[in-house]
Amino acid sequence: MDAFTVVLWILRLGFVLCLYLFLFMVVRSLWRDLRSAVADAAPSVGRLIVVTSPLGQPASGSSIPIDAVTSLGGDVNNTVVVEDPAVAAEHGLLSYRGHAWYLEERAEGMRPMSVNGAPVDGGAAVRFGDEIALGRVRLRLERPLADG
Amino acid sequence: MRLRARVSMRPAGRPLETRLLVIVTVALALGWVGMASTLAGRFTTGDPLPIVCWVLALGGTHLAFMVSGRSLDQVLLPTVGLLGGLSLLILERMPQGFVQQRLGDRVLGLGDSQLLWLLLGLGVLAVVAISVRGVRWFREYRYTWAALGILLLAAVFVLGDEVNGARLSIRLGPISGQPSELLKVILVVFLAAYLADNRPLLARASLRIGPLALPPLPYLLPMLAMWGIAVGLIIVQRDLGAAFLLFSVFLALLYIATRRASYVVLGAGLAILAGVVLYRTVGHVATRIDVWLDPWVDPSGAGYQVVRALYAFARGGVVGTGLGAGLPQVGSAPAIPLMHSDFVFAALGEELGLLGVVAIVGCYLVIAERGLRVAARAPDDFQALLAAGLTLVVVIQAGLIMAANLRLVPLTGVTLPFVSYGGSSVITNGLVVGLLLALSDRRAIRGAPARSSRVSRSVERQERDPAVEGAAA
Repeated sequence: MDAFTVVLWILRLGFVLCLYLFLFMVVRSLWRDLRSAVADAAPSVGRLIVVTSPLGQPASGSSIPIDAVTSLGGDVNNTVVVEDPAVAAEHGLLSYRGHAWYLEERAEGMRPMSVNGAPVDGGAAVRFGDEIALGRVRLRLERPLADG
Repeated sequence: MRLRARVSMRPAGRPLETRLLVIVTVALALGWVGMASTLAGRFTTGDPLPIVCWVLALGGTHLAFMVSGRSLDQVLLPTVGLLGGLSLLILERMPQGFVQQRLGDRVLGLGDSQLLWLLLGLGVLAVVAISVRGVRWFREYRYTWAALGILLLAAVFVLGDEVNGARLSIRLGPISGQPSELLKVILVVFLAAYLADNRPLLARASLRIGPLALPPLPYLLPMLAMWGIAVGLIIVQRDLGAAFLLFSVFLALLYIATRRASYVVLGAGLAILAGVVLYRTVGHVATRIDVWLDPWVDPSGAGYQVVRALYAFARGGVVGTGLGAGLPQVGSAPAIPLMHSDFVFAALGEELGLLGVVAIVGCYLVIAERGLRVAARAPDDFQALLAAGLTLVVVIQAGLIMAANLRLVPLTGVTLPFVSYGGSSVITNGLVVGLLLALSDRRAIRGAPARSSRVSRSVERQERDPAVEGAAA
């Protein structure tokens, strides 16, 4: 094998190595970016457990991590989409204010939501363990999981 | 606010982009020298002007991004740089007579013409990435885009040049181009705007046929009509690739907007039905599918292109023959017809082998990840759908033609983004990646205070009252 062939092989090998070095560096940066995005995500301050949901949206038994401001309703733009004939597009707003949960009515002229069976008139305080009902859908507010 | 504005105007370092561009430069230099030496049979750098021009242009764009002070994505430019560089390597190495482009009194060959297109494409990319700050106006002119798209297609139909039975290109004075390339971008902008406006309605199915949930007809009809007109005209123009590409992007965006798998099932069913009907009725389509099923029935006729492409991949094997050592021509004819555009992936497969081909697929996956990431953290529905749609146009097209080169799907004539020869394709893809880069800057999207409040108010109005918007549609 003469020197020229060796040089050619080194050049070709170097070219392929550079291609893969490029991909390696890109993938490493993408991986870091994804990891930091997961780390930056705001820790959830509570969970909603779906107790009953006749139409399956949200799925019964699921646990939904929620933020300090969570909107409930039939529209797809809500934080928690609740499908039920008796639920308005924008039905309720669950918020965490000064270490207390608060549920606000946002829909006019619909059957009011209830907390532990008591109707919400405009707004009501909610505590962990309380059950919220919108139409036939019932959600239980729970503490967040330890790892957020 | 003033403080933040001043900070954002200061040139910011882009360390990742710098590092990646250095690797791309080294890779292209090694590739160029290896190719020139193989062709000459002795150690030489050949005439490195084209690759030096490309690397300098990438460096210039990199500096312009830094000076602009925008926080643009740092991975997309080097990825485009690598793909464009591979394009130059493989096209400069093919017989230059495949293409003759007149520029003033000079005649440019294949590689030099592609360099010109790549530089123009990079220019468009840089200008769009730096200057597009709000995308609000895209959304406001959505029906203008739709009309423009239909007009473009009609213009091709009336004025277009017929090449091999397909009317694809249009000639205006000295400039000729393929409007279906630009049409893809226009259609994505329209679909993103339309779906963002009607998302709540489309997601709430009201029409149920058995297990299928359909959106209310008045809201779906305008979109189906738009799709039907576009696809119909394209079928009339015999541009199967663009028709398939547009329809798959349409279905993907519909799924992203509504998260309803039933729409995708319905759409795929419609596509299969159309495929079967077209296979039975249109000779052109039947030929493509027959060749895909068995190219060896007529290896020197209809199946010639596909068979030659498979041979090229086979000659390449795992490590490839090496840049410059492949067989780009038989006598004076190209080894694979259209190997500088539709079959450039097969040419690369021959010279770079499986290793190189996997790296190229990796580059498109990187573009897919970056683009969908931009979509995932977009501040509103329209920008998310726009970013996702633009990404999918590039990535699905790349996947479609790569799979066709490998005989995994029937051949449809689309280009491999940034690698295939072609001015319309390279410049349009430069526009698409430029828009993705512009959307990746989250600081600019919030924009000046006066403007952002108006935007948020009108977004709020639309979300509150989708029925009014839909009726206006």
